[in-house]
Amino acid sequence: MIKITNLEKFYRTEEVETIALNKLSMHVDTGEFVAIMGPSGCGKSTLLNILGMLDDPDEGSYVFNGIEVAHFNERKRADLRKHNIGFVFQSFNLIDELTVFENVELPLIYTGVSASERVKRVEEVLDKMQIMHRRNHYPQQLSGGQQQRVAIARAVVNKPKLILADEPTGNLDSSNGNDVMELLTDLNEQGTTIIMVTHSEHDARYSHRIIRLLDGQTVMENIMV
Amino acid sequence: MLKNYFKTAWRTFWKHRSTGLINIAGLSVGMAAAVLIFIWVHNEFTFDNDQPDAENIYRITSHLAIDKNETWVWESSPYQLGLEAKKTMPEVMAVTRVLPVSWSPIDLYINNEFFREKHAAYVDESWFNVFKGNFVSGNAIAFNNNPFSIILSESKAKKYFANQDPIGKTIRIDSANYQVQAVIKDAPANSSFKFDLFIPVAARQADAEQKNSDMGWGNFSYITFIKFKPQTNIKYASENLKSIIKPHRDKKDNLNITLRNLKEMHFESDLQNSGLVHADKKVVYIFVILGALLLIIACINYVNLTTARASLRAKEVSVKKILGAGRGHLFKQFVAESAVISLLALILTVIIVSVALPSFNSFTNRNFSLTTSSAYLWIIIIGTLLITIVLNSIYPALLLSSFKPLSAFRGGTVMKIKDTSLRKGLVVVQFTFSIFLIIGVITIYKQLSFVQSQNPGYDRSQIMSFDISWKLLKGIKDEQQTAVKSALKQSILHEPSVDAASLVGMESIQSNGSFSSGSADWEGRPKDFNPSITYFNVDGDYTRLVALKFASGRWFLPGSADRRNVIINETAARQFNIHKPYVGQRFIAQGDTGVVIGVVKDFNFQSMHAKITPVVFKLDQQWSSNYLVKVAPHKQAQAIARIESIWKQNFPGQPFSYQFLDQEFDKIYREDAKASTLMSGFAIVAIIISCLGLFGLAAFTAEQRGKEIGIRKVLGASIASLVSLLSVEFIVLVIIALIIAAPLAYWLMNLWLQNFAYRISLQWWIFIAAGFVAVLIAFATVGLQTIKAAMANPVKSLRSE
Repeated sequence: MIKITNLEKFYRTEEVETIALNKLSMHVDTGEFVAIMGPSGCGKSTLLNILGMLDDPDEGSYVFNGIEVAHFNERKRADLRKHNIGFVFQSFNLIDELTVFENVELPLIYTGVSASERVKRVEEVLDKMQIMHRRNHYPQQLSGGQQQRVAIARAVVNKPKLILADEPTGNLDSSNGNDVMELLTDLNEQGTTIIMVTHSEHDARYSHRIIRLLDGQTVMENIMV
Repeated sequence: MLKNYFKTAWRTFWKHRSTGLINIAGLSVGMAAAVLIFIWVHNEFTFDNDQPDAENIYRITSHLAIDKNETWVWESSPYQLGLEAKKTMPEVMAVTRVLPVSWSPIDLYINNEFFREKHAAYVDESWFNVFKGNFVSGNAIAFNNNPFSIILSESKAKKYFANQDPIGKTIRIDSANYQVQAVIKDAPANSSFKFDLFIPVAARQADAEQKNSDMGWGNFSYITFIKFKPQTNIKYASENLKSIIKPHRDKKDNLNITLRNLKEMHFESDLQNSGLVHADKKVVYIFVILGALLLIIACINYVNLTTARASLRAKEVSVKKILGAGRGHLFKQFVAESAVISLLALILTVIIVSVALPSFNSFTNRNFSLTTSSAYLWIIIIGTLLITIVLNSIYPALLLSSFKPLSAFRGGTVMKIKDTSLRKGLVVVQFTFSIFLIIGVITIYKQLSFVQSQNPGYDRSQIMSFDISWKLLKGIKDEQQTAVKSALKQSILHEPSVDAASLVGMESIQSNGSFSSGSADWEGRPKDFNPSITYFNVDGDYTRLVALKFASGRWFLPGSADRRNVIINETAARQFNIHKPYVGQRFIAQGDTGVVIGVVKDFNFQSMHAKITPVVFKLDQQWSSNYLVKVAPHKQAQAIARIESIWKQNFPGQPFSYQFLDQEFDKIYREDAKASTLMSGFAIVAIIISCLGLFGLAAFTAEQRGKEIGIRKVLGASIASLVSLLSVEFIVLVIIALIIAAPLAYWLMNLWLQNFAYRISLQWWIFIAAGFVAVLIAFATVGLQTIKAAMANPVKSLRSE
């Protein structure tokens, strides 16, 4: 599904140039659950941004589903993204002004799904995440675990092929964190590819494979059994 | 989808209510001001447009070249010209004439009650064929059938006859009884013909003498309108008119005739004077600009407050983008937000406009109403709303929707928006406008008080004035008239409450701009030099009242010794190039050959807009029927009562009306006083809007820099130093605005002052004062916020970070 080759990304300030990704190569197959780990500043976030097509690499190749996207413009990337990728964030990033239902509904609005179809699909996914009873609440009225479940519901409502999760349990206690990991595992078992950045060895154990980064390069890959 | 945008917009508004309310308040004030201005402007631009066939109706304009340098332009023309045109020109469909009575109001007696009507006109029988009359009751046929008919406007019918049916009621004018034949709707606000009372020309011309005078080819009293067949060559038609009149002009070829279309009449600026409603196109354009500027500075608030808060919305925008929102989606969302705010402001605008409309009407002398039926009004309101939405939404929507989603990926990030300089620029724009208006207000106020306090060269205090209408003296022989008039003067002089009295030819020392030309001669006058002269017909007592100052010579002696002599003003002596010494030079005035016996120092007999022009005083009682009476100090009430009783003895049953020269004097500057009121109004609106914006920005800055303030406080900063830290940047903006506004105001206000022949010079302190006022207001606005921020407990702001 994903194949990146010799990916490079630099950040420049007026005087210093920082190398975030240094000729990084990796691939992820369809249906895999991959965890990316590494210390702060190793390039995890940059990698995730590029994988999520939120940012473009300076050098190298990124093939997504057989399409070279490394030099796509923003509009093309956005188009590819909204149909194929769901995001889960550490800080949930729900929109405070929208209800649970409306938050989950958003990606469907942007992909032009009809209103009746939207209601059906949002209800379906809320049901699956067991937060149907909270559908008319606002994010501030929910616990952290519930908020993250809404976020996951929002990430999967469009049935994306890939979910990118950025420390999804970082802001949760261990019990809620485990729930979230169970949900992701379920999704993966139903065929969704998942790439997750995490600091937690515990969470990483839910994945099939751990990629460890240091200074913008892959230093080790563990295959989980 | 649309519903979604508005739902989100409403919630966003609700969440940031305080900013939202500042936005709404500023917008509605700006929109209301703009709507009122645009209503007026629209009205000015549509004058007489609703007259059927307006494009084919033309008014005859007469151009009389009195001198090689001077041409008088009149809206009036000989009565006969219209008659002949109808007879001989096939392209003429209809001709109608009107004689507005604005110079000599009509006195009405209704059930023994007396009314004076200024907005009246004599019209010929074709008037209501050419111009539409919205008849409420009665019709034009009855009006035309009987010369002694009257048509009343609806409001006057109500005033005179309350709830009775006015049709058939009798109104006495002079000694004749007239019947009300019809009632028409009041003239719309955009009509040149604001008449409340119509009388047939036939009634006026029932008097043989009057008719004879009206029919003279040299009598330019009536305004003539011609309705041409469509596609008439107007230039050719005016040549035809000229050739009709030519044989009747015995002298040289100094009269030119042109035609002016009805729709272009309102903005005419070349007329000597007019009995119809006119306006200056320049002024209308200035108001368009002012209206637009007020709207723009109101929108600047919204733009500034919205973009200032942009960083707070970075997360929302980023998340939406990551979830697949395109720029278009987000753009529409922010436009919807602006639309919600603007719509809410519109509700307030409509309320403000409807509350302000009555005073606006009395101020503009128009009759606007906010009814559902006046479509144009709603077009203006909705148009203003749309302009507001566009102005408000374009920039913030572009800015907000352009965020790169990347930054929000890791938690809530703070986004640095590099548009603070734009925001500051916009604040500078607002204050430039405000300061400009403050300078304008001070300048106009200074100029007006200069005009009022300026020594006009004569004394107008305690002088009352009244006149014997020529109608009262009609039919009395000349010698007898003079006897009646001087007897009246003598009995007034006997009153102890009266210091002096004078019988003169004009009701006031302030001339309404009547000039004559070609009736004077003196030694050394070039043949083609016929300057405009204002004649003052006076008696020997005149200068005792108004205390003119002499440059040389003396005043007229009592009696008729100086009957043929003249007194001139300094300007006349200079302009006429009279040989020195002036006194004793031969001077022929209006057929009388005499000498110059005195030269008075120049005095302002017109408003100070006009330069002093040549004046010639003549001792003439035959055409004088105005009395000026100098009242003894503190005896005003007594004098009025006594003179009124003398009047009643002489003219039983005739109304006595009088005025004081002081009041007349103030009337001359009424338009200027209006300009001053208006400018103050605009200045206040502009300042309120600008301050609302500043208030919002200051609140936001204080909020955003909460942590910085906390740290500084912990490190020992005093409250005073914090307040100045936060205020200084705003004050600097106001000072920059002053630097921009000052030269602009200097230029424009000097242009305005050019309207006055006698004017103040703009002094530096006016600019400093305006700047000081602006800084003070800005500081008061910002200070409140900054003091609040500086006094806050630092622990709070530091912990919440």
